[in-house]
Amino acid sequence: AVISSILFSGSAEEIVIPRKKTWYGIAVLQALASTVNRDPTASHYVFQDDSYLTPRTSAEFKLYSLAQESGRTAAKYFINTYPKYFQKDFANPHIPCLMPETLELQVNEVSEAALIERIQLRKVKAAVDMYDQLLQAGTPVSLDLTNDLLDLISLYGDCDPARGDAPDKSLKPNRENNNAERIFNMMPERNRRSYGALIRGMVKHGAYSKAFNTYTDLLNNRLTGDVHIFNALISAAPEVREKYVEKWDLIVDLLKQMAEQKVKPTLLTFNAVLKALRRCGSLGRTQAFPVINEMKALGIAPSLATYDHVLGIFYKAATSAQGHTEILQDVLSEISGKSFTAQDPDDVEFFKDAMRICLATKDIEQAYRVHSLLGVGENWKLLGDSYYQSIYYGRFFNLLCMMEHIDVVLKWYKELIPSLYYPNSQGMRDLLQALDTDNRLDLIPQIWKDIKRMGHDNKTELVEEMLSLMARENQIPEVQQSFADCALDVKALYTQTDRRVPLSWSAGSLSSITSILLAAERTQQAWEMLKLFKLANRVPSESLMNQFLESVKASNNAQQAVELVQISASFCLSITPNLMERVQQEFDLTEEQRNTLSDLESSTAMSD
Amino acid sequence: MAASLRHSTLFTTVCRQLNSTLWLNVGGRSIHSSAVCCKNRAARIRVGKGDRPVTYEQALHPHQIAHRKGWLSQHTSNLQGEDGAADRTVEDLFIRRLIYGTFHGCLADELVIKRRGNLLVICALMLQKLPPHKYYFLVGYTEELLSHFYKCPVKMEIQMLEEKSVYKYL
Repeated sequence: AVISSILFSGSAEEIVIPRKKTWYGIAVLQALASTVNRDPTASHYVFQDDSYLTPRTSAEFKLYSLAQESGRTAAKYFINTYPKYFQKDFANPHIPCLMPETLELQVNEVSEAALIERIQLRKVKAAVDMYDQLLQAGTPVSLDLTNDLLDLISLYGDCDPARGDAPDKSLKPNRENNNAERIFNMMPERNRRSYGALIRGMVKHGAYSKAFNTYTDLLNNRLTGDVHIFNALISAAPEVREKYVEKWDLIVDLLKQMAEQKVKPTLLTFNAVLKALRRCGSLGRTQAFPVINEMKALGIAPSLATYDHVLGIFYKAATSAQGHTEILQDVLSEISGKSFTAQDPDDVEFFKDAMRICLATKDIEQAYRVHSLLGVGENWKLLGDSYYQSIYYGRFFNLLCMMEHIDVVLKWYKELIPSLYYPNSQGMRDLLQALDTDNRLDLIPQIWKDIKRMGHDNKTELVEEMLSLMARENQIPEVQQSFADCALDVKALYTQTDRRVPLSWSAGSLSSITSILLAAERTQQAWEMLKLFKLANRVPSESLMNQFLESVKASNNAQQAVELVQISASFCLSITPNLMERVQQEFDLTEEQRNTLSDLESSTAMSD
Repeated sequence: MAASLRHSTLFTTVCRQLNSTLWLNVGGRSIHSSAVCCKNRAARIRVGKGDRPVTYEQALHPHQIAHRKGWLSQHTSNLQGEDGAADRTVEDLFIRRLIYGTFHGCLADELVIKRRGNLLVICALMLQKLPPHKYYFLVGYTEELLSHFYKCPVKMEIQMLEEKSVYKYL
């Protein structure tokens, strides 16, 4: 704690080592307590604990974790291709997940066993072919097995699941479920499960009206639906009607039929209703609470997806806080201290959506409550994958930079970055803004080190903004020197030609660096910068010229003053006559220098 | 020369026939032999010209284990009443060869293999020869392969060095 306060105090105090140190009585307990929670200096647990192997940017994070996964996949390929070397079973009790898997088809003759095998191995096309062969051979296929086949086809949308990666999301509207429908039509008898497979597949792959037609078929055949069918239909309802009222009426109708057919609703049913209400405009706001009360009356505990849908109903993207801020507070009060498990695929949306609302309403208190909810029980599992995490932490950090004092911001900065979150260049600009607001610009050189480490040193806007913040005012001498070192470091980035494309100079960046160097009294390097102006075809500003003149006057170097006027003339700056006058008046010039100046005067007068 | 030899052998045979112990070896030499005692060469690098860099592990001889060296392989099967020592040794050898080949040219020093309960931990010192994502690929591959091979969880812990740490030159 002592060292960090020295680092952030911005002044170089003498570090005094005391002769004798007395510890607090509870010092040991404090030290032990600091090991209990998450270690903010460590990288993610999947990575090796070595500085060469720790990812420093989000791109590296993704690359290393994917590289490790692909190594595992390569090993699994060898294990499954040559299973005879991995058959010896040492483990007692037997560990099934460490045995080689058979991914190849064993049974090849036309039989029900072969169909079962293909369904288990998720080989959709092979299963459909086997079924067709069975029918051609005249073998009857049992109803359960046919239902399994229909489930398989509906789930994977009639094409084989892609190996490993996320499945191909493009819907093929003309091909969808053709096999499923064909097999369905060929079936001698169909039960509710068959209809269910077809309806759910249609809803999943976008054939909403067909799904409703199939449901009508189901009813015409004097069968009743089950909870999965109704859930699918409710989620499809907003797609088949245009007006809000009609959508809601359809949903109410479905719910009534559900009650008639004595199908008990589950959590997923209510979540589907609320999700559909998100698309019903203002009707959603009036109907949301009755739905939740119904849910509670039936004794179904809401999941995070329920609350996410409620927030989605009341906080639309276009409207900012219009008297609805109580909803978020109410929701958070209700769920504070509770641990949730994953029950609905939409559970992972809650945290990032809640943080989005906090950011839009600029409510830091609620943001802290959301963040503390993350620490309860198993809720951290519902934060989602690394992409969702980066969105959540990005919004949280953005809000912190806007609303909180710089000390608090820096505390969170150390806590979150880089162990949980790699900020993008916008996040770093927010941090610079926060530093500016609280007048802690002396911390910029340290932030620059972090920017370089995170690989954002090739973002021109970020670098230029940082430079202009440093150049804006004069600082106390130590800070000015640290700024000058930082500025020289940045200059090296612009001029290096090895490895990567260097940044291109702009008038702003050149002027900023030059004025920082001048303020730190590094006149030699500042003069070198002036030459760079010419090379980069940029024009120095008048204030910069004046600043130069001030520094030259301080060193009382007449030759440099004359050079300055010459440079100003070469850029055809309007301030040249003014400079010339001042130089002639304020410096003791030799005869030669006076002649040079008068030549210049005449040449500029002629060019005007 | 040949004549003198014949004379000397004649002389020794005459002396032997005289059956006097004092006269047995006068003027002749015979070979004295005993049981062979070879120099110990196990895990030792002999002192040479002074241009061969050698790590701490290689420089210290095996009799220094438990004095100045630790163990490269840690398991409990060498304790009283425990069995499976031979199996563990064979496993260790297999693992060392597998890793030597998988991370070819990257190992800075011998592996240290620790067994904690069911878990097999392979601690390796590596050189910074490959970019980090290649190391992660190989680590994932080795862990998965060895887990399935030995039916127990296998973890690798790697530390990176810039170059091999030389203890002395022999």
